[in-house]
Amino acid sequence: MQKRKFESLSFKIISSIILTSVVIIIGIFLSFETINKKAFYNVELQKAKLIVKTIEPLVAVDIYLGMQGKMKSIVKELIKNKDILSVEILKNNKPIYEVKSKNKSKSLFVITHNILQPNSKKKIGTIVLNYSNHNYEQLVSKYTKLLMIMLIILFIISALLSIYIKNILKPLRKIARLLQDFSPEKKLQIKPMKEDNEISLILSALNEMQEKIFDFASKQKDINAYLEKEVDSKTVELRKQLFIDDLTQLPNRRKLFNDIANSKNDRALLILNIDDFKEINDFYGQSVGDYILIEFAKELQYLLKNEKEIMLSRLSGDEFAVFFQHKPSEKSFMRVINNLTKEIEKMVFEYEHSEIFIRVTIGATMDSNEMLEKADIALKLAKEHKKYFLLYDKKFNVKKQYKENMEWVQKIKSAINDDRIVPYFQPIFDATTQKAVSYECLIRLIDTDGSVISPYKFLTIAQKSKLYPQLTQIMLEKSCQYFEHRDTTFSVNLSINDILDVDMVNYIQKCIKKHNVNNKIVFEILETEGINNYVEVSSFILSMKQLGCKISIDDFGSGYSNFEHILKLDIDYIKIDGSLIKNLETDINAQIVVETIVDFAKKLNLITIAEFVHNQAVFEKVKLLDIERVQGFYLGEPDKGIPTDVDAFA
Amino acid sequence: MIRIFLFFILFVQSLFGYNYDSLLLKADSSIFPKIMLMDKKIKNKLIDNKIIYTIVYDERDYETALDVKEYIENTFKKYMNGYPYAVDLVKFSQLSVNTEASALYVLKSSTENIKKAANIARQKGIISFSYDINNLKYDLLFSLIIENSTILYLNKEYLHTNNIDFVDSLLSMVRFIGKNSI
Repeated sequence: MQKRKFESLSFKIISSIILTSVVIIIGIFLSFETINKKAFYNVELQKAKLIVKTIEPLVAVDIYLGMQGKMKSIVKELIKNKDILSVEILKNNKPIYEVKSKNKSKSLFVITHNILQPNSKKKIGTIVLNYSNHNYEQLVSKYTKLLMIMLIILFIISALLSIYIKNILKPLRKIARLLQDFSPEKKLQIKPMKEDNEISLILSALNEMQEKIFDFASKQKDINAYLEKEVDSKTVELRKQLFIDDLTQLPNRRKLFNDIANSKNDRALLILNIDDFKEINDFYGQSVGDYILIEFAKELQYLLKNEKEIMLSRLSGDEFAVFFQHKPSEKSFMRVINNLTKEIEKMVFEYEHSEIFIRVTIGATMDSNEMLEKADIALKLAKEHKKYFLLYDKKFNVKKQYKENMEWVQKIKSAINDDRIVPYFQPIFDATTQKAVSYECLIRLIDTDGSVISPYKFLTIAQKSKLYPQLTQIMLEKSCQYFEHRDTTFSVNLSINDILDVDMVNYIQKCIKKHNVNNKIVFEILETEGINNYVEVSSFILSMKQLGCKISIDDFGSGYSNFEHILKLDIDYIKIDGSLIKNLETDINAQIVVETIVDFAKKLNLITIAEFVHNQAVFEKVKLLDIERVQGFYLGEPDKGIPTDVDAFA
Repeated sequence: MIRIFLFFILFVQSLFGYNYDSLLLKADSSIFPKIMLMDKKIKNKLIDNKIIYTIVYDERDYETALDVKEYIENTFKKYMNGYPYAVDLVKFSQLSVNTEASALYVLKSSTENIKKAANIARQKGIISFSYDINNLKYDLLFSLIIENSTILYLNKEYLHTNNIDFVDSLLSMVRFIGKNSI
């Protein structure tokens, strides 16, 4: 309040006037002090000096001519002046005449003036005049009084002016007080003024403004009401969208999360996944897939309608969850699951005269902590193990496996970034000449401590994490680069995914051409994978053969060896699976299978290679079976480089 | 008898000269050179850079003139207000326009001589002092009398001579006198 008073317009104007008055008074006072007082003083001083200067020539003549009678009469005449207190004439510094007035004054000027010889500058005496400064004091006193009167008048004028200004600005204060209560809904009663001045103009402008604001506010109010209604309806819609699945109208994943988070009881959860739903989608189309999901949701709702405190929701595309808000007994839990499984198996979805059946896999948990994760783990394990249902058990230890996998993914990524993925080369010898005729390029990861890590530890994870194509590219590039200027063949392993990947095939072709190794490189393809994707593999082999590359079927005999397919594929080598070779010296069955494969290969003019030759006995047996090429730790281990001068095993 | 007495007086007078008041002579000797120095144009009246104060006398007043000279020389010790000076004694009969003089001090004499001296002083533009105040009526410039105090008299008709310009203060203390008021 006090601050507002200081900031008010009237206070500012009044204080400006007072300040200006004070400055003027101080200015007048100072100028009086510095100029007038001095001027008054000088006037009196000059008067005294003038008197002395006036009488000096007369006195000078008198003294000069030695006619002092005249001088005395002059001085006596002078002393009649009430302001002259005394006159003393000195000749040769000795007083020759002195007259004193009866008047007394404490304050006086003492004027000492030399008496000069007439018509000469020679000093012949001195006049000492004591002059009262009574006049000066009187003047100063008068002037001070005048100043005081001025000050009082100015003060009175300021005070009157202040009152006047305050009075002028009074209507403004009144308006301000009125405006404090202003609101767009309530019109203020601002009375117009009689005077035609600036304030009356403000008043009329305020009235006009009030009218406009009032109109605008009423329109705004309508708009606001409309908008509020719209917002409310949108909020309801959005809330619904937030927690309801659009397709099935079941509660969605977010709602499930919410319910789980808000529930403090012991609970249980089932996750149902429709098996091979992608195939249904691909075969029948997306709309049929959606139709089945809608119908399936309805069926589930129907099946669970009698179950209390159970909430059905859709988690994602083909996944549904059944949340038990209170943990049921194991018996009751299993009853629900069995009932669901049984009923789902019976479900038939008809679409354009087609009957579509579905199967589900169920993962479940009765552990209230991390329910979704645990039910999901159970579901994945159930799928892996081809079970229709699995209840989560902490013995699964899946989390540890997940953690290790994630660590390995990180490790592979950092090895790729740090260029620690390298090829190691294992020689393949001619069984007769016992000379290295080729090298298989095997992937190795060099750990940060320099240790060499075998592919069986990370290759599966690499495939899952989609890092595998990068590893293939690195192996291809480095292997081709290594053998670019070496006069020997080398083989590189390709997975079926590499062959199916068009970009990868293009990369392989470019890499071969870039390093000019088309006549040296052999691609090793797994027999089992090749058979499953016969058309694609055949096309790949054809294109590679056109470039001059060789093809080898790896791990031949490990699965169901389809000789018919092999016949159709234009291959060059058959690498007999290590599982057949490793016990070849003792395993009669293996010997029969290998003999058959070798016989088959020879008839087709294919070169056979025995891998996993790990001792002398196996090696001897391999030679006996007329296998042309051999490979194994007994003969030569994989190494980061190939020997330049040694080409036969010891 | 009376004729004899008058003749005797005239004879003595011619034999021993005029009567002079020694006090007045001393006052004249002391004051008149100083008044001469109060002439602002004194420099124009120097002769060979020297002030020549010329005493004009009748032959029979030689002694008086000599006394005046002696008294002046005793008073002013070789210099008058810084100027070297000389006091010349010149008889009325020898006085002419060519007589070197910065000022004339005229002792008593015949009216004719007095007029001559006044005329020459006027022609030369120099100040003329008179021992006898009555001679001011013959156009001499200054004279003084001693009463209760010393009173200076100035012939106001002679004041406006071109070559004389007194300091103002002097004029405030002198008594002006005209031919007809003597």
